This record gives sequence, C-alpha cells and structure tokens, in this order.
Amino acid sequence: MLSLLRKTRGLLLPLLLIGAWECLSRQDAAGAYAFVPLSTIGSALLELLGNGELLVNLLASLARTSSGLALGIVFGVLLGVLMALSSLANRLIGPLFHSIRQVPMLGWIPLIAMWFGNGEFSKVLIVSLAAFYPMVLNTYQGFSHVEQRYREVGQVLVLSPWQQFCHVLLPAAVPSIATGVLHALAFAWVTAVGSELFLSSGAGLGNLMMNAEAGSRMEVIVLCVLCIGLCGYLMNLLFTLLSRHLLRWRSIR
Amino acid sequence: MLPRQQSLLVRHHPFPLFQKHGALKGQRSLRRRLRICGGTGLAKALGYFAELRLAMAPRTRSVLTALTWLISPIALLALWAAVAAAGIFPRNLLIPPAQVVQAFTGLLASGELYEHLGNSLSRLGLGFAIGSLSGLAFGVLMALSRQVEVYGGPLFHTLRQVPSIALIPMFVLLFGIDETFKIIIVAKTAFFPVALAACEGVKAIPRSYFEVADVYRLRWPTLVREIALPAAAPPIITGFRISLTRAWMVLVATELLAADSGLGQMIEMGRQMLRIDVVMVGVLVTGVIGFALDFTFRRLEQHLFRWQTR
Repeated sequence: MLSLLRKTRGLLLPLLLIGAWECLSRQDAAGAYAFVPLSTIGSALLELLGNGELLVNLLASLARTSSGLALGIVFGVLLGVLMALSSLANRLIGPLFHSIRQVPMLGWIPLIAMWFGNGEFSKVLIVSLAAFYPMVLNTYQGFSHVEQRYREVGQVLVLSPWQQFCHVLLPAAVPSIATGVLHALAFAWVTAVGSELFLSSGAGLGNLMMNAEAGSRMEVIVLCVLCIGLCGYLMNLLFTLLSRHLLRWRSIR
Repeated sequence: MLPRQQSLLVRHHPFPLFQKHGALKGQRSLRRRLRICGGTGLAKALGYFAELRLAMAPRTRSVLTALTWLISPIALLALWAAVAAAGIFPRNLLIPPAQVVQAFTGLLASGELYEHLGNSLSRLGLGFAIGSLSGLAFGVLMALSRQVEVYGGPLFHTLRQVPSIALIPMFVLLFGIDETFKIIIVAKTAFFPVALAACEGVKAIPRSYFEVADVYRLRWPTLVREIALPAAAPPIITGFRISLTRAWMVLVATELLAADSGLGQMIEMGRQMLRIDVVMVGVLVTGVIGFALDFTFRRLEQHLFRWQTR
C-alpha cells in the first residue's frame, strides 16, 4: 500500500491542479466561462469523437506536417551536404542561409500569406521551411565533423569520391542527421499548428481551436491543446525509438 | 610526409573538391575542379580568375575570400531589384527594395517603429525575466531536492510537451488579450528551457568536486561561488539563450494574433492594409532583433567560459 502511494506521488500535483480547475469552474458564472467543468470537457470529447471532427482535423494537421517534413528533410539534407562538401557553395550560400534563418519562423507567415494566399500551399511551405533549417544545420555539422582518421582510411583505400561518400562520410553523418530529423519533427508539428492558427482555412487542429476561441468554447480548446501535446510527445517518442533501433550498429559511448 | 607519398596521395585523392587546405590546393586541382563544372567558356573564365587569384599575395587572397561572403546577399538583392523593375509580378506584391528602405525610414522618422519595438521589447524583457528566473529557481530546486523532483517532475515534464503557440487561444480566453496574457505566455515559453537546463546542469556537476570541497572544508557560500556556479553555469547560460530566442518567436506570433501594439501587430496591420513594404520592414526588423539577441548571448557565453577547454 505504502509503496503504491510512493509510486503515485507524482500524480498528486496534477490532480490538485485539476481539482483547483474544477473548483474554480463552480465558483460563479464568470469562472465557468473560462474554467469549464470537467464534465463539459468529457462530453465535448465524446461529441468531437462522435461527429469525427477531432479525427478529421487531426489527420489534416498530421498530413500537412508529414508532407512539409518530407520536403524539408529532402531539401535540407541536399543543401547541408552541398554546403559541407564544397567550401565554395558554403561561402556562396552560407551567409544567405544564416541571415534568412534569423527571422522567427512564424514571422514569415504574413509575408507568405500575402504572396501565396492562405491555402494549403502556404501552410506546407511554412512547415517545410521550419523542418528545413534544423536539417541543413545538422547535416552540415554531421558531414563536416567526420573524424579525420576515417577520411584517411578512405584515402589509403583509394576510394572513388562516390565510394568515399557512401562508405565513409554518410555513415559518420547519419547520427547527426537523425538528431536533425528529431528537431525538425518538433518544429514542423508546432509550426503546422501555428500556421493553422494564422491561416484559418481548411481543416486542421489550429483552425478548430480558432473557431472554438471565436465561439468561446474552452472545452474544445483544452481538448485540442491536450491532443497537440500528446501527438508531439508520441511522435518524438516513436522517432527516438526508431532511430535508436536503426542506429544500433553505432557504438554508443 | 615523403614527397613521393604526397604525390601519390595527391594523384589518387578521392575528394579534390572537399579539401580545404593541403597539397591539392594547386593549379592542377583547380583545373580538375572546373572540369567538374563543365568546360564551357564560363568555366574557362572562372579558371582564369582562379589562376589569377592563386598568383596573388596571400593577404589579398584572404581579403577576397572574405568578400565572397557578400556575393550571395548582393546577388539576391540585385535579382530582387531586377525582377521588381521588370514588372513580372504585380507591383503591389513584389515591391522594389528601394520602397522597403523608404518605408523603413518613414516608419523611423514618424517614431512608429520605435514605439512598436519598445512595446515588444519591454514585453519580452519582463516576461523573460519572470519566466527565466523562476525557471532557474525551479530547476535548481528540482536538481537538489528529491522531494521536489518526485512531486513536481511528472507535471513539469507533461507541461513541457505542450507548445506555447498552441496555448495562445487558451490563454486568450483565460486572461483576455491584454498585456498580462502576453507576459504570461512569454514567461511560460522562457520557463521550461531554463528550468530543464538548470536541472541538468546542476545534476551534471561531478560528485568528486564536492568531495574535493569537503577535503578543503569549504563553507557553503564559497562552495557555491567557487565550485557549483562555474561548473553548472555553461549549460544554464545556453538554456537562457535558447529560451530567449524562443520567447522572441512566440512573442511575435502572439502579437500577430492578438495585440494592439508591438512589432507583430505592425506586421499584421500592414498585411491587412496590403502594405507589403511595412510587412517586409517588420519581418526584417524581427530577424535583426532575433539575431542580435542570439549573438549577444553567444558572445557572452564565449567570454564567460573562455577558460573552458572543450
């Protein structure tokens, strides 16, 4: 009994917080407006699940994230490799890349919205840009920090450039690229939701939240926030497990 | 290395392109380099310049190398100006660079930019101060006390998963769209990275340091000042830097969505009135501020921890 209590100590604070929330919601009408009772959240969950609204919007957001992520990863890795392997390309593209990178991701949204409208294309563009930056940085780092010893082995074995790339540089850079994907995943997910908040057209969790804000339906917003947090966590966890499995050949310190 | 070996290496070097310094930086490799680009007139011209460059004194060469950093931004500017002048795209969507400069000086002269910038930066300062200091305190507590970690840890790590951007609609309903809401959201953004970095930084102090302190019978204040602080500070400062750049991004996003002043509101207003010049000035200023904040913190990091051997 005591050991069970010990294990559940971490739940105490969250439960207290939820209790306080419920308590505030019962105080007066103003409290019930901002802090909705838990029962309302529960019924809203059933309602959203029942009419499929949550699922449709979630899937739309996930689809946007994955297409943006795929684009960002492909172009990010390409540019990263180019910049790491050719000092000329690095000198030509590097300054431009680093100066554009300084603008916060969501700061681009108004400009992109003016140029490309607020449809699907703009959102995917923003998501892929958000995935692009960490990919370029990590790929560049991975390829430019290959140990000199490995390069020398390649020289001794007189590998052709392509062989050197495939057998020496790429395996050495893969862990760093995996880290980049992990960052890109998080950025892409946050930016997808953010871009939906700003460009509310079409389906998406952000759009669902904006509509709920306009109708001041706190319970829907709470559900969306929970859903976003949970999905972000799950994606992170899945990718970490996957990369650990795929990179198990690597000797870990 | 023996000359013969060297020449062998040069001949068979797998990556002539990728060697920055070394035996390959000769004219032969340059020609090879250019053959990869294709042997057209352009390549011949490039080869001429490359050989010219090699003939120069090293000093001039390094100056020229430094100048190549400027090529791409200038090329982009020139391309932008040329496309805008050619009128391929509608004039209200692609404006010439001169108009952006004009809008910038206009906003500067009318004091509008200062006002928005001042509002944004004061929000950032206040929110960041609250968030990062409480994050520092919580992180250190969590690292030092087992009780705090057991009780607060799960909640902390759960809340950490929720992105700040997703909380904007919720906080709008809870706190209204006044100043409180923006400061709370900036503080929330700043809190988590600093708390995490502080917790991990303090935990990562090697136990042997404390044993040494024990041997010397150091007192508490000395222990903290001389051992704990220098050992834990580098990751914490990095945490501060990350949380500052994130807080800036979230603040601009918040102002875009709900504000009556600030840089984000200026951009959003420009968008609604189709003043693309104002939007571009806003985006540029946002980038410059973000860069300046990050750069300052990086320099601070380098300066404070120059004694570290990595």
